[in-house]
Amino acid sequence: MKPREFSFKRYRKFIIPLIVLLAVTEGAAIVCGATFDSLFGGLGRGILFLGNLYPPDWKAFSEMADPALKTIIIAFLGTVFGSVMSIFFALMAASNLANPWVRNLTRFLIAFERAIPESVILILLVAASGLGAMSGVVALSLGCIGMLGKLLADIIEGIDPLMIESIESVGGNKAQVIVFGVVPQIIPNIISYTLFRFDINIRLSVLLGAVGAGGIGYELDYSFGMLDYHRAFTAIIIIIAIVFGTERLSYYLRKKIKMEGALK
Amino acid sequence: MSGLDYTLPSKKYKQRMTVFMVIAIAVALACIYTDFNPVVFFSEFHYVRDLFVHDMMPPNYRVLTDDPSTGMAILQTLSMAFLASLYGGVIAVIVAFLAASNTMPYEAVRDFFRFLLSFLRVIPALAVILIFVIAVGPSTFAGMLTLVIVTIGNFGKLFTEMLENVDNPPGEAIFSVGASRMQVIRYSIIPQILPTLMANLIFAFDVNIRTAISLGIFGGGGIGFKLQLAKSVLHYRDVTAIVTLIIVLVTGVEKISNYLRRKILGEDKLK
Repeated sequence: MKPREFSFKRYRKFIIPLIVLLAVTEGAAIVCGATFDSLFGGLGRGILFLGNLYPPDWKAFSEMADPALKTIIIAFLGTVFGSVMSIFFALMAASNLANPWVRNLTRFLIAFERAIPESVILILLVAASGLGAMSGVVALSLGCIGMLGKLLADIIEGIDPLMIESIESVGGNKAQVIVFGVVPQIIPNIISYTLFRFDINIRLSVLLGAVGAGGIGYELDYSFGMLDYHRAFTAIIIIIAIVFGTERLSYYLRKKIKMEGALK
Repeated sequence: MSGLDYTLPSKKYKQRMTVFMVIAIAVALACIYTDFNPVVFFSEFHYVRDLFVHDMMPPNYRVLTDDPSTGMAILQTLSMAFLASLYGGVIAVIVAFLAASNTMPYEAVRDFFRFLLSFLRVIPALAVILIFVIAVGPSTFAGMLTLVIVTIGNFGKLFTEMLENVDNPPGEAIFSVGASRMQVIRYSIIPQILPTLMANLIFAFDVNIRTAISLGIFGGGGIGFKLQLAKSVLHYRDVTAIVTLIIVLVTGVEKISNYLRRKILGEDKLK
């Protein structure tokens, strides 16, 4: 009595999506030029190549200190300026503070900004005002608006309206409502999202460095271009250390803030 | 009780001002160190304006109609992100099963895969693409392999936490009536994580589209590579057209992904 009566109806919900998925995957693989032959050949070559990286160039560590600091500073400045700007954008994009026209326009701007990846912004800025840390900071600040602006605006729309009403009822104007009614309620969120964004910005700052903002990402790209793989390995070690350090720091601070917020 | 308590700045105020001053001084020092002057950006803004008004307008949409490789590049970016989400997601799920404490009984194996996941999280995407470009040549395939690594790093830990946070009672119930460990996983854990898993895979596609565009610049192929090419030969009107295409692409994918995730998770679950 094996399940002789295989009914298509029973498995239809499962088989049709599977066939579609396989067809799309095959199509995408053809477009990408992804084949298992090139994968295994490539992996072999890649693993052989990894041997070229070792050992790291120990002398380059002291040269890399300056670019590493530059990468951290670009991320730091981008986060500070970006979060300050995104607070303004968030206030304008919240439906309980701004009028509908301003709100929708600001929401549109935020969504528009979010649709452009940071590296594309940087390419445009580099074309306009040249290579350098300034373009990187501006690109990261703009990138912050897209993410933090939306998240903070959503939080402002969800805050307790009683506090706003009570300040308005005793004659507070709009600025007072924002300073005493809105900001104290969202401060913990602002800090934790900003720390989270700093974590993202460090990674982006490495990538943007290679596009033209300078810093450790540029050193890595340059070392690969010069075929100086030992130096590149030094840069990779430093980048891993920076990213790991900021991730731990950001996680620790966010956890601490969460605990303090819970106690209040 | 003197009035002194009210006139002196409160402890909280002092604390806040200290934090504020520390940040302000750090910003000032950082600006001096990198020669970054926020005023310069606005006083020299006419360079940006000139570029946008004179060189970049109007966008040259003939890149799309005359040059079939632009359409192909968009398709390449899409398929890069799709394949990477699929393969990266599947590998991330397998690794998550090997790293979660309620599916993997051996601690040594768990620790190994946890270490692997945290290592993949911190390894810079830039280094990965540069290595893959050497391994398989500058192509869409190199970009795709990089995205697979990035996806495993980003989502592996998330899936592990998801597995560890499933409700225990259903599993215990079927275990108590004699189900094996495998059956517990099949009938208790997988049904619980499946909707979140699907939603996260769709979200991975959304994230990967953006990363795919960035990686294109470093030889990953696709629309990012087209953009870099058009910029380096100073065809700024093509650049504008490609940037608008990127905006449409990213927004469209985001809308579709939000719609699908909302359908899978229910209206209010979407953060």
